[in-house]
Amino acid sequence: MIKSGIVKSVLLSAALSLGLAGAMAGAVQAADYPEKPITLVIPLGAGGSHDLNARVFTSVIPQYINQAMIVQLSPGASGQKGTNEVATADADGYKLLFTHNYIDQLQQHVENLPYDPLADFVTVARINFAPIAIVVKGDSPYKSAEELFAAAKENPGKVRMAHSGNWGALFVPAAQLMQANEIDLNLVPYKGGGPAMQALLSGDADMTMGFPSTLSALLDSGEVRVLATAGDKRIYPDVPSFSELGVGGDVGFMHRVVLAPKGIPQDRLDVLRAAFLKLNEDKTYQRLMSRLGENIDYMSGDDYEKLRADQAEAYKSLVAKITGG
Amino acid sequence: MIDAFFSGFGMAMRVDTFLMVSVGLFSGMLIGALPGFTTLMAMAILLPVSFFMDPLVGIPFLLGIYKGGIFGGSIPAILISMPGTGAAIATTFDGYKLTQKGQSRKALDMALFSSIFGDTSSDIFTLMMIFPIALVVMQFGPPELAAILFLSLVIIAATSGRNPLKGLLMMGIGLWFSLIGTDPIGGVERFTFGLFELKSGIPLLPMLIGVFALPEIVSVFGDRSSHLRAATKILGERLKFSEFRRCFRTICRSTLIGTGIGVVPGLGQVVAAMMGYTAAKNASKTPEKFGTGELEGVAAAESANNAVNGPTMVPLLTLGIPGDNVTAILLGAFIAQGLRPGPDLFENQADMVFAILIVMVLANVLFLIIGYLSIPFFARIVTIKSSLLIPMVIMFAVAGSYVFRSDVFDILMLAFFGIFGVMARAAKFDVMPMVMGFILGEPLEYAFGQTMAMADGNLLAFALTERQGMLAIVIATPLCGYALWRRMNKTLKPSTADQFS
Repeated sequence: MIKSGIVKSVLLSAALSLGLAGAMAGAVQAADYPEKPITLVIPLGAGGSHDLNARVFTSVIPQYINQAMIVQLSPGASGQKGTNEVATADADGYKLLFTHNYIDQLQQHVENLPYDPLADFVTVARINFAPIAIVVKGDSPYKSAEELFAAAKENPGKVRMAHSGNWGALFVPAAQLMQANEIDLNLVPYKGGGPAMQALLSGDADMTMGFPSTLSALLDSGEVRVLATAGDKRIYPDVPSFSELGVGGDVGFMHRVVLAPKGIPQDRLDVLRAAFLKLNEDKTYQRLMSRLGENIDYMSGDDYEKLRADQAEAYKSLVAKITGG
Repeated sequence: MIDAFFSGFGMAMRVDTFLMVSVGLFSGMLIGALPGFTTLMAMAILLPVSFFMDPLVGIPFLLGIYKGGIFGGSIPAILISMPGTGAAIATTFDGYKLTQKGQSRKALDMALFSSIFGDTSSDIFTLMMIFPIALVVMQFGPPELAAILFLSLVIIAATSGRNPLKGLLMMGIGLWFSLIGTDPIGGVERFTFGLFELKSGIPLLPMLIGVFALPEIVSVFGDRSSHLRAATKILGERLKFSEFRRCFRTICRSTLIGTGIGVVPGLGQVVAAMMGYTAAKNASKTPEKFGTGELEGVAAAESANNAVNGPTMVPLLTLGIPGDNVTAILLGAFIAQGLRPGPDLFENQADMVFAILIVMVLANVLFLIIGYLSIPFFARIVTIKSSLLIPMVIMFAVAGSYVFRSDVFDILMLAFFGIFGVMARAAKFDVMPMVMGFILGEPLEYAFGQTMAMADGNLLAFALTERQGMLAIVIATPLCGYALWRRMNKTLKPSTADQFS
């Protein structure tokens, strides 16, 4: 009696773990590809914006590929661990990478990688992008970006900028601003954008950066002020864009992209690209993404490939400048 | 505010809310009990489910998984000496010894009651003091965190056992292990011997399972009249009220310590459990009993690590800033429901926030019932014949190490740390300081690096002008460590105390 109870408990726990893995499994249909669930590797940790975005689109996309898409988080080594996992996987379209431009194109200039991003990956689609905003505390003495830059120029290394880790989504735009304006900020790392924002609010940092989707609550209550936002167009009516401040180009954008190992059969790549295109029109997807405060700025794989090549060049010169090499 | 509280209370009273909380609690407990599956994974996977539910069903569902998962982690720690998370390490010390004595049910009951007590009191405290806590949280930055982590290491080393030199040596090894991999700030590779697998550092879970669970398995083979065999078919009694009352002071102390540690961003459950355990051992008239199967030890660790949870929600609720991965997932759930945590949340949607907080407190009552009813079912594991149980434990060890990062390399790590654990035990070295050094080494290094960056290299001037709090902790650390070490030695082994002083 007791023993059968144990067997039951083991079976139950095994069934549960399997159930978790297959929770999002859609109906299996007799199409050639995909004929089994697709794994989506995220080279970042749980709870970040990539995780949240992926949870949304992987719960909607099964109806367009007739298969589940399972999220696998493989953080570590600044994103290299998960990226390498996909780079070395079979190019059969069953293992994809959900990453962003800094991990994808910047890492190669900072470290020796076991993979070559441009030669080993091809873009399936860009899901969306997030423009960065320069943020100071509500009672900060800096009323405008010009004042902030002037202060940094006068006192090199004295203005503290809290970022989310070296060569990450907040560090790179800051480095690009430093390059463009010839200023020197004291870049202090934090474990993610949340702790960096907390450092700003507690007065440990003079400035930080953030994505509008994460800022709204603090902005409305006046806890923080935005001094500038990335891109040509203004996001907030009375806040200048980077272009107006003389910082043009692909600066301060985090592109969230799905990549596949290069060598994936063209027909399979087409299936995936078509699915992401249809996803873009899906009402549930749009509703969930807008609730998260994310935009739905789809870009086709071919278009993004051109952007990738440009990024590789731009980041190369940026890294050379910052590291003094 | 009062109106909002009562309307929130009304909103919370829903059958489907309590049903989903129960589902969350039970599944969280099961997942937490499986080595390798973490509460965080369970929450991340089930997050989209909550998107399609009513806010007052979806968010409590996730909170249920969270609460259940933390307790679930202590089940394998007690039954098979396999801590699934760092937070359950201190539970292993006495919990597994109790299982060996045939008192696994008692240990699980104590873990459940003290977890729930710690959690409930810290939730209520947080509910009432949310704005003062928010102010205190802001006082702690990287410099203070570095100082407190350093203090924690000193306390652990000073109180680790009979021979402080062995403890210090093991801690040094643990700190060295934490250096392996990519330097968290500068991105430089250290001690990786060119292996790509080591670039992201040594994984925690294979280390925990390796040093805590594998030596237990080996000892079964070494010893014919083994405890695992002896424990067979003994389910043990349930916890008596008098035993709970005996530990009540300890539970209250640990709850206070845990809540206090929860206020400091970045410290977390591991430190809380260790500090709660150390404090209980230090306050006890019979500290030598700790580590040999003392119910108080389980109570001290479990109430402390659960008490952390209340205050860690404060930055999320008051500022919308997630301090760790769990709160980041909760933030995602809130936002997807159209609730924007932040300064305005209490003004615009106070009733909803109160409803969620009330469900959080009431979920503990449900948890008490669900946990109490399911403990006999878990406790039966130890009654399996050892010829079946041991292969099962080995399977859990290997599968748990693998599933955490889905990396075959981690199984090699498990084997390495298993051998390390067996050798350390044979040489009478306690592995605990090594593990704590490893766990606390990385955040300490990071916080110290941040402090140096903030100070622009001039640490002393920075401490004197801007960070007197950090300075005070650093100055107090050696005094505190010395006092504890003296006290520990007096009660444990008076003869060696003279040798070293």
